[in-house]
Amino acid sequence: MTAQTDAPLLRVRGLKTWFHTFGGVVKAVDGVSFDLSPGKILGIVGESGGGKSMVGFSIMGLVDRPGRIEAGEIIFDGRDLARLDDDAMQAVRGRQIAMIFQDPMTALNPLYTIGNQLEEMLTLHTDLGPQARRARCIEMLAEVGIPQPEARLGAYPHQFSGGMRQRVVIAIAMIAEPRLLIADEPTTALDVTIQAQLLRLMKAQVEQRRTALILITHDLAAVSQMADRIVVLYCGRVVEIGASAALIASPRHPYTRGLLDSIPASHQGRSRLPQIPGTVPDIRKLPPGCSFAPRCPRAAERCRAEVPELTAAAGGSAFACHFPLEASA
Amino acid sequence: MSELPLLRVDGLEQRFDASGSLFDRLRFDNGRISAPRRIVHAVNGVSLTIRRGEVLGLVGESGCGKSSLAKTIIKLHEPTAGRIILDGEDITGHGFQRMRPVRRKMQMIFQDPYASLNPRQQVSDIVVEPWREVAGGSADAAHERAMQLLAKVGLGAEHAARYPHQFSGGQRQRIGIARALSVNPELIIADEPVSALDVSIQAQILNLMMDLKDDLGFSYLFITHDLSVVRFISDRIGVMYLGFMVETGPRDAIFDNPHHPYTQALLKAAPRIGQPLPPAAEQLTGEVPSAFLLPEGCAFRTRCPLAHARCAREQPALKHIGAGQSVACHLHDADEKPLHDAPLPVAA
Ligand SMILES: Nc1ncnc2c1ncn2[C@@H]1O[C@H](COP(=O)(O)OP(=O)(O)OP(=O)(O)O)[C@@H](O)[C@H]1O
Ligand SMILES: Nc1ncnc2c1ncn2[C@@H]1O[C@H](COP(=O)(O)OP(=O)(O)OP(=O)(O)O)[C@@H](O)[C@H]1O
Ligand code: SF4
Ligand code: SF4
Ligand SMILES: [Mg+2]
Ligand SMILES: [Mg+2]
Repeated sequence: MTAQTDAPLLRVRGLKTWFHTFGGVVKAVDGVSFDLSPGKILGIVGESGGGKSMVGFSIMGLVDRPGRIEAGEIIFDGRDLARLDDDAMQAVRGRQIAMIFQDPMTALNPLYTIGNQLEEMLTLHTDLGPQARRARCIEMLAEVGIPQPEARLGAYPHQFSGGMRQRVVIAIAMIAEPRLLIADEPTTALDVTIQAQLLRLMKAQVEQRRTALILITHDLAAVSQMADRIVVLYCGRVVEIGASAALIASPRHPYTRGLLDSIPASHQGRSRLPQIPGTVPDIRKLPPGCSFAPRCPRAAERCRAEVPELTAAAGGSAFACHFPLEASA
Repeated sequence: MSELPLLRVDGLEQRFDASGSLFDRLRFDNGRISAPRRIVHAVNGVSLTIRRGEVLGLVGESGCGKSSLAKTIIKLHEPTAGRIILDGEDITGHGFQRMRPVRRKMQMIFQDPYASLNPRQQVSDIVVEPWREVAGGSADAAHERAMQLLAKVGLGAEHAARYPHQFSGGQRQRIGIARALSVNPELIIADEPVSALDVSIQAQILNLMMDLKDDLGFSYLFITHDLSVVRFISDRIGVMYLGFMVETGPRDAIFDNPHHPYTQALLKAAPRIGQPLPPAAEQLTGEVPSAFLLPEGCAFRTRCPLAHARCAREQPALKHIGAGQSVACHLHDADEKPLHDAPLPVAA
C-alpha cells in the first residue's frame, strides 16, 4: 500500500468534551485520540454512558450546552474541526461528514416524504438539477434495498417498517457521498437478519467509495465483524485500542477481557457467566487513579492512586493499565 | 412423568384496534366517506406449554408480538381468542378479582426498566406491592419482606428508601425482579429483562435469574431477541414471526437442527464474535409484511427462499416433527399429528 492511501482522513487528538452541570463537571469524553484512514472502519465500544455518542457529536460539531469541547484537536482533511465556526462547520456537515443517530425514530421527519428528505440532502450539498436529484434518490433507495424505490419516494416514514426506516436513515446519510460516516448504534433493536443486511450495506459503501466509517455500538460481535480497529471507552477514556482481530483474540485491558467474557455466546453449556462485578461509577465522582479499579479483579494500591496512561504496544495497539494481561503469542 | 404443564396456552390470539378516533379514521375516496378500522394482528393462534422448572425462551424480531403474547398471558390484555391454563386452572375469562390468587403464581418482569416502576414510590414499597395485594400483612411485615427481597437481588438496606430514578438501569432491573419474586411465584414471565443493559450488567442479571431458579425452582417464559442470551438461558425455545409461532423445540435441536426457513435464516445472520459477516448469498431478501395486513397463506412467504405455490394459498400449522420439535412450514408436513398429542420432551 502506498503512503497516500494510508494517510489518515481523520486525526483526533486529546479530545475532551465536558459538561458543566450544577452537580459537577461531567467529563463525558476525557482525552480521546485515534486515527482513521479512507476506506477503513473504526469501531467504538464500551459501557452505556461511556462517551461513545459524545465522540460522534464532537466530530459533527453538535455538542450542546452545557457541554463543550474543552481541549484537543479534530483534524479532518487537514483542518481542525474543533476550531471551525458554525458556518464553516455547517458546510462540512452532511456533505463531508454525516452521522446516523442512535434513535431511529427521531431521525426522520414524520411530516415530509422519504423523497423530500433524501432530495434535501442533494439540494443542500450538491449542484445537481431536479431531474438528476430524483434519479439519484431512486438509485440510492435501491442501493439500500428498498423495493420499488420509485413508488416509495412519495411515502411517509410511518408507512415503513422499522428496518426499512433505518435503511432510509442510512440512505440519507450516504446520499451526498460523505467522506466520513459516523453510525451510532445503527442496528440496535433490529432483527439480526435485518441487521446483517444493513451492516453489509455499510461495508459495501466503505469498500466501493472509500468512505471512512466510525461504527459505534455496544454489540461486540457486530463490531468484530466490521471494524479494522476497535476503540474501547470506559468513563470517557480510551482504555484500549488496537486491530480488531488482535484485540478480540488477546485483549490487554481487564475491562476489555471482562466485556468479551460476559457475552453468553462464548459459554455453551449452562455454567455461570463470568461477570464484571459492581456498576459504572458516577462520572461526576470518578475515583482517583484508574476509573475501572472498583470493578477490576487485578486492581492494586497503585491503581487507586495513579491514573494509568495509554501505553503503546505491538502492532499499533495501546492500553491504559498498570497491570495489563499478558499478550498471547 | 405425565405431570401437568404449569402453563398451557392454546390458540391464543390478540388483535389490537389501532384505528384511533373516528376523526382520525375518516377517509374520502371517490367522493365517498368511510372510516376504516386498522386492526393489528399482534398474536395469531399461538400455542405453547411450560413445565415446572423449565425455561422457555421466546425469540423473534422486533414487533413480532412477543410482548403482546406475554401481556395477554398475564391478562393485562384480554385475549381475542384461545385459552390460557395455569396449573390446571383455565384463567382465560378471569376478571381482575379472580386474577388475584393467580398473580401469586405468575408474575411479570417488564421490558422497560425505566417505565415499569412508579417514580413516586420508594423502592421498599415497590418490591412488596404484589405481595401486599395477595397477602395483606402489616407495615412491619412488609418492610421485613422488602429487606429480604432486596438482599436476594443483591441490593442493600441503604437502597430501600430511595426512588427509582436514583438507580442505574441494571439496578432498576433488579428491583423489577425483586418485585416479581415477592409472592414466590411459580412462573415468571420475563420480557427482555437484559436487553436495555450493558453486556457486563447483563451477565450479572442472567446469573442472578439462573441462581434464583435453581434455589427456588420456578419456571420462566424468557423473551429476548438476543440469540446468545436465549441459548444460554433456555431449556426449550419458541421462534415467533409476525405473531405466529413458527418453530418450537429443545434448545439444542433449535440451534443444531433448525427446520423452519426463518429460524435457519435467523441463526445464520446472528453475528459471531471475531467472524466475518455471513455472505450476502445467505441473506434474506424482501420485506417484513405489516401486522395490519397479513399476507394470505404463510406469513413468512414474502421473504422465504423456499416459498412455493402452496405457501400463498394455505397457512401452515405448527406440527410435531419428532423429538419434541414442532415446525409450521409446508416443507415439513409429513407428520399430521396435532401438536398436543405429541409426547412432551424429557427434561435434560
Ligand atoms: N446534557 C448533558 N448534561 C450532562 N451530562 C451529559 C449530557 N449529555 C450527556 N451527558 C453525559 O455524557 C456521558 C456520555 O454520554 P454518551 O451519550 O456519549 O454515552 P454513550 O457511550 O453513547 O452511551 P450509550 O451506550 O448509552 O448510548 C454520559 O455519562 C451522559 O450522562
Ligand atoms: N396496545 C397496542 N395497541 C395497538 N397495537 C399494539 C399494541 N401493543 C402492541 N401493538 C402492535 O402489535 C405488534 C406486536 O408488538 P409487540 O410489542 O408485542 O412486539 P415485540 O415482539 O414485543 O417487539 P419488541 O421486540 O420490539 O419488543 C406491533 O405491530 C405493535 O405495534
Ligand atoms: S490500572 Fe489497575 S485497576 Fe485499572 S484496569 Fe489496570 S489493573 Fe485494573
Ligand atoms: S410454508 Fe412456504 S413460505 Fe412458509 S416457511 Fe415454509 S416454505 Fe417458506
Ligand atoms: Mg450513545
Ligand atoms: Mg417487546
